Amino acid sequence: MFTVFTYVLYAVSAVLAIWSIVETIRNKPAGKLLLGATAFLLLLLIVQLVLSIATFGSTHDIDPLLYFGYVITAILVIALAGFWAFAELSRWGPGVLAAAGLTVIVMIERLDQIWQ
Amino acid sequence: MKKREEIAAAKQERAEKRSRSPYSAMHTGPGRALTAVYGVFALSATARAGYQVIREFDVAPIAYSLSVLAAVIYIVATVCLVIGNRVSHRIAIAACLAEFLGVIIVGILSFTHPEDFAKPSVWSSFGSGYGYIPLILPLIGLWWLFLVGRRIRTT
Repeated sequence: MFTVFTYVLYAVSAVLAIWSIVETIRNKPAGKLLLGATAFLLLLLIVQLVLSIATFGSTHDIDPLLYFGYVITAILVIALAGFWAFAELSRWGPGVLAAAGLTVIVMIERLDQIWQ
Repeated sequence: MKKREEIAAAKQERAEKRSRSPYSAMHTGPGRALTAVYGVFALSATARAGYQVIREFDVAPIAYSLSVLAAVIYIVATVCLVIGNRVSHRIAIAACLAEFLGVIIVGILSFTHPEDFAKPSVWSSFGSGYGYIPLILPLIGLWWLFLVGRRIRTT
């Protein structure tokens, strides 16, 4: 994909996952900063969606349904997990964010494979 | 940081809901986390199965039919964890058992009959394509449902 931006995506989702695991262990609900980080990752994924729509024509034959299926599912997962963590007042809010962060790391890897 | 009153109000609200739907997983933090993970799995399994059926069903019809079945079972389990009456509790147990049996049987078949599984389904090779989560998740689900059932029987 867009090499530098892909690394940024990996880094942000890894930070989100690790931070969420730490907050779960510390028995804290998701604070404003953690929810902000989730929103930031959501923003980055939307940027990824826009970038890939803009440059999609220039790539060799990738199935758009497969590629955008993954991008949109990743956006949905992060958005829903974010709302969930916002509503959840126990340590399991960050717990859900950790699960979503790990899922999105795998999905970014799949996206990168599909793009090549 | 959330205020104490907010947390107290949320707890009270949950206590009221508990009397209406005693079996729901939504009353405790770990239960809600489990439901969320099931939801993520239902969403991703549905998306993948939908793609496989639309684009390349002819390549591996058995594997893709199983993907659809798996997606449906994950959705049923997620919904039943939330609803929380006695019937949905039993359906959730059945769904978790079906998931576990599915991942075991399909896992074995994908090694003994690889020609029927030209393309991977969620359950192929014991769920290795999904970090073995399909193998572990139904066990956690069953354990959770057992705990909820026992809590209700003792009160």
